[in-house]
Amino acid sequence: METKEVLVVGGGPEGVRAALEKAQAGVRVTLVERFPALGAARIPRDRIVAPDACFVNPELEEARVHPNIRILAYSEIQKVRRENGKIQTRILKRSLRVDNDKCTDCKACIQVCPVNMLDDFDEGLGFRTAVDYFNPQTAEFNIFKEDMPVCQQACPVHLDIRGYVGRIADGRHLESLALIRERLPIPGSIGRICPHPCESACNRQYLDAPISICFLKRFVADVEIAREITPAYKTASQKFPEKIAIIGAGPAGLTCAHDLARLGYENITIYESLPVPGGYLWVGIPEYRLPKKLLQREVDLICEMGIEIRYNTRIGEDISFEELQKSNDAVFIGAGCHRGLKLRIPGEDDFEGVVDCVTFLREQALGTRKSGTGKLIVIGGGNAAIDSARVGWRMGFDEVYLVYRRTRREMPANSWEVDAAEHEGVVLQYLAAPVEILGKNGAVSGVKCIQMKLGKPDASGRRRPIPVKGSEYVIDAQTVVPAISQTANLEFLGKSTEFRLTRWNTFEVDPDTGATNIEGVFAGGDVVSGPDIAIRAVAGGKRGAAGIHTYLRSR
Amino acid sequence: MVYEKQGRYIIPFDDVPADRAPMPEISVDERRNNFVEIETGFPEETAIREAKRCLSCRRCLGCALCWAECKPEAIDFSLPDETLELAFDEVVLTCGQDNAFCDPDPELGFGRYADVLTDLQFERMLSPTGPTDGLALSPLDGRIPAHVAIVQDGRSAEDPGLPASLILGVNMAQLCSAQTRDVKVTLISPLSDEFKARYESQIRQITGLTLIEGTPLSVGRENDSDPLNVAYTSRSDEKVTIAADLVVILTRPDTAAYLRDLARQLDTAPPAF
Repeated sequence: METKEVLVVGGGPEGVRAALEKAQAGVRVTLVERFPALGAARIPRDRIVAPDACFVNPELEEARVHPNIRILAYSEIQKVRRENGKIQTRILKRSLRVDNDKCTDCKACIQVCPVNMLDDFDEGLGFRTAVDYFNPQTAEFNIFKEDMPVCQQACPVHLDIRGYVGRIADGRHLESLALIRERLPIPGSIGRICPHPCESACNRQYLDAPISICFLKRFVADVEIAREITPAYKTASQKFPEKIAIIGAGPAGLTCAHDLARLGYENITIYESLPVPGGYLWVGIPEYRLPKKLLQREVDLICEMGIEIRYNTRIGEDISFEELQKSNDAVFIGAGCHRGLKLRIPGEDDFEGVVDCVTFLREQALGTRKSGTGKLIVIGGGNAAIDSARVGWRMGFDEVYLVYRRTRREMPANSWEVDAAEHEGVVLQYLAAPVEILGKNGAVSGVKCIQMKLGKPDASGRRRPIPVKGSEYVIDAQTVVPAISQTANLEFLGKSTEFRLTRWNTFEVDPDTGATNIEGVFAGGDVVSGPDIAIRAVAGGKRGAAGIHTYLRSR
Repeated sequence: MVYEKQGRYIIPFDDVPADRAPMPEISVDERRNNFVEIETGFPEETAIREAKRCLSCRRCLGCALCWAECKPEAIDFSLPDETLELAFDEVVLTCGQDNAFCDPDPELGFGRYADVLTDLQFERMLSPTGPTDGLALSPLDGRIPAHVAIVQDGRSAEDPGLPASLILGVNMAQLCSAQTRDVKVTLISPLSDEFKARYESQIRQITGLTLIEGTPLSVGRENDSDPLNVAYTSRSDEKVTIAADLVVILTRPDTAAYLRDLARQLDTAPPAF
């Protein structure tokens, strides 16, 4: 009979005891601990003991040498699932960077290490050097290196923030920019528009306020432009001949193309349905937040690597998806979410002047919608709603209203964008929802709204708005822009409907490689995540590029 | 100057501004009817000052000084991470307590006063291999406290976790008295009849430890140089205040989030304390 395999999670007293009991019963045990060493010698909680019996745990030593126990310290269980009566796991065992079998415990390393950091094992009461014991009782050395600083951890592409901010502090701005470009090919754009999850994680917020990480990135990107330097993005000397097609020149597609070109791929073509690059960065983010000239420059730098962008080419119309698949070795789909959701209320499709936010922003960005008059009502509370309102205000609408069914507190838009909109004179109406679009002679004349009040929190954790009976009122309007959410438009797939999709109409992909269920087809960005921030689309592009490289090289 | 999250200290430097640099913008009047970029970017001086605010959250810098110094060549930066795909017949989840305690009641002053510690911190302090080699010291001034108060946070007499928490408190009190000279320890907590019947006489015999049945209310001090005032409601419902040089909170441990996630994925109950 096969020996039973047991996984024990946790290297504390309880875990060590469980491991020993199982091991003594003849079972093979794997003991996983998150920290670099077991910490089982503690003050007992289950019996009153004499002082000399504290911090003594003979079971710890026993477990460490037991032949049936394998100890995986500094390890994290990344995946676990039940399959055919077994429990399949994926465990990341981090490197201690010290070979403790060779270590003679002379402590010379501790003497010379210049890093003095708070000792987590001592609950922050003392300090340790970067190379030191984790738990002095087990006397195993480790180097704390692998753990990223919190900002880098929070960044979807894991930019070396500490590194590039530090270089700015030293006045080495171009080195800083080069470091950013190691992982992000569009620093000037992201440095302007990123909602910066890194800053939300920054440890300095507990002292005063987080570092302005995002704007520092913009700063170094601007330095290069101010000094009129045109950098060259390097590509590997070893070249690969495979043909790769990328659908969409947005942040995901551009990054994927960049990363593949850098790896040495020479035949990369991006198919873009619009006449301009950047995807949502061009047609969704307004010019006043991200100047097109700057975006164009960053796209040009990527194209200089030998990447072709075919504009005005819509897959499914100009070229079928099957054809694309057939004529390429790999396909990356980064088509984004460019279809505005409907309000699903009466009158929505009956009158001229109702235009969803995606279309509204795109037409303005492409110059086909130049000005507006009368009153504009934007419906929604996300960033696209705020952008639409602020764009409308600039286009010359006499009055701009934003109607949102919850309150300011529940608004998903970045707070600083809401502030700016208010500052510019956009009228924000909270706790109001549209119930009907009204019109006269085929054109919109107003929106009938109903007042809402907040009830119990729903699945999103936000309080659910409930209509107040009989509270309907009408706001006059000549243009109405619903900005409630966006979804992917997957019509380009045509008949190839073999793709596994989620219930949100996005691609289901392998979380490690971005591979779809169809061989050779990868996806990333909003078309996988649903509408999300640009830096996460960049991360999706990077994942796809790495996935495609592994796929092509192992064929 | 206190790094509030953990009651840690950070030294403010004159050349590092405490305030975050604001982004310069064009005025609202300049924005109407045009799409000119609003934010104008940091001037170099501002950027450098802002960058200097970075605490550079310290980890190994890769300077390789230790590597150069290590005679047995045990230090190896290239030792890789490993990803293991393993199959098991059974998974046993045990409770991780590291940093998994609930935030203590803010009234008890943790994070506000450097000489208010959690039980996990005090446990490390009492360890012979801990930061003070086993001696109880006030992190505020490095002095040996004359009086340590150990207070129970947020548990009633009926709480099933109370006995384990109290036993830890008693063991810590004994250890503290044994390792630190002339220290008095007071343990303030609600007590269950069951606990009293089983342990009270044993605890009353421990020299240096006073066990008080009561519910801790607040910890604070009037002036920086004063000892801490520990207020509690006694058994007879009176409010009593005593002075202490070091306060240790018996926290309510909670199951770590990653364990709850694992339990959910395995469709089993998460381990509990």
